[in-house]
Amino acid sequence: MSTAARDGRSAEAFRRLYEMSASLLLGAAQRILGRRELAEEALHDAFARIWHSAASFDPLAARPLAWMVAIARNRALDLRASHDVSRVESSAEFDDVLSHQPADPVEIRRLRDCLGRLEAPQRQAIALAYDRGLSHSELAAHLGKPIGTVKAWVRRGLASLRACLEGLHATP
Amino acid sequence: MQLHKHGLLDALCGEYLVGTLRGAARRRFERALREEPLLRSRLDAWQRFAPVPAVSVTPSPAVWQRLERDLGLAPRRRSRGWRPWAWAAAAALLIALGVQLTRERPLELAQVAELSGKDAATVGAFVSRDRRTLILRASRPTSAPANRSFELWLIPAEGGAPLSVVVLASLDARLAVPDAYVDRLRAGATLAVSTEPAGGSPTGQPTGPVILAGRISG
Repeated sequence: MSTAARDGRSAEAFRRLYEMSASLLLGAAQRILGRRELAEEALHDAFARIWHSAASFDPLAARPLAWMVAIARNRALDLRASHDVSRVESSAEFDDVLSHQPADPVEIRRLRDCLGRLEAPQRQAIALAYDRGLSHSELAAHLGKPIGTVKAWVRRGLASLRACLEGLHATP
Repeated sequence: MQLHKHGLLDALCGEYLVGTLRGAARRRFERALREEPLLRSRLDAWQRFAPVPAVSVTPSPAVWQRLERDLGLAPRRRSRGWRPWAWAAAAALLIALGVQLTRERPLELAQVAELSGKDAATVGAFVSRDRRTLILRASRPTSAPANRSFELWLIPAEGGAPLSVVVLASLDARLAVPDAYVDRLRAGATLAVSTEPAGGSPTGQPTGPVILAGRISG
């Protein structure tokens, strides 16, 4: 294949990738940023990164969308930190996100089940961080606890979650 | 606490997905992700459980145009900065994504209106592609006052009396659009929320104050 032809097909594949997934990534970014123009900025930056990192993506990975969404979310979190995005008022629960899952694949059921087994403060800290994009220090302020405490909640909650998801027993 | 042998890696992967890994720590993690297959496989194991985004929002065409320009994808400037792996990498990713989306296609929602009013939370209205599912998401949780209900109304694009869509206890809702309203839920129509006696308007028309309204745009 000539260089030009190969380049053309790369651009075409990348364009189709964008068409299939951009609206979902923008939905994830908008959830964190609220503001449309900032969310589109995050979307642009995420796809630029996806383009440059595509070679290190493992084609055998189960869920490429999760990989792409994580990139978009993290870019949105960076923008959220550097812009004056209004603070969160509400408390968040995973049920909100999980209730919008269309199908109910076994993994989502498992996730819901394992989240339900976490201690309440750990679950709340993880939910706020995930759904509303709060950093450790924002979590500490929001929950009125020292930063070390909320860090430990997130860290331990994730360890228990992982153990539960993999069917191992966590010893608290 | 007992962590199994990949405990630290797993914790970092979890924080990366949840979003609490920030700044220099995240950059180190991302660099390691490019270089360490073990770390990639641990992250992939986590990602099996990652939820699909709940809402999709169609980007404006300007985003893709900017990407084409910044990445040199536009047809006439294509030769700049391309690497041999680009085609294979983009194609592999495309195929894998296609497989995933075919297997677990999310409900495709587009935001069609933003409902706003004085003294009330802003509410985004999202509609599925077939217009049979309507989702309302409030900027902050809002329940109806004691002994009152919210009622959602659709005012058709061609005018006429408001049609009652549903009686609500809170401004966050997911509902099946009644058959008769599917065709009316389109650009030019207006969605509005009024506060009514508990259980909804006794007359079939709004009787209480209209707290939110927004025109459907797409």
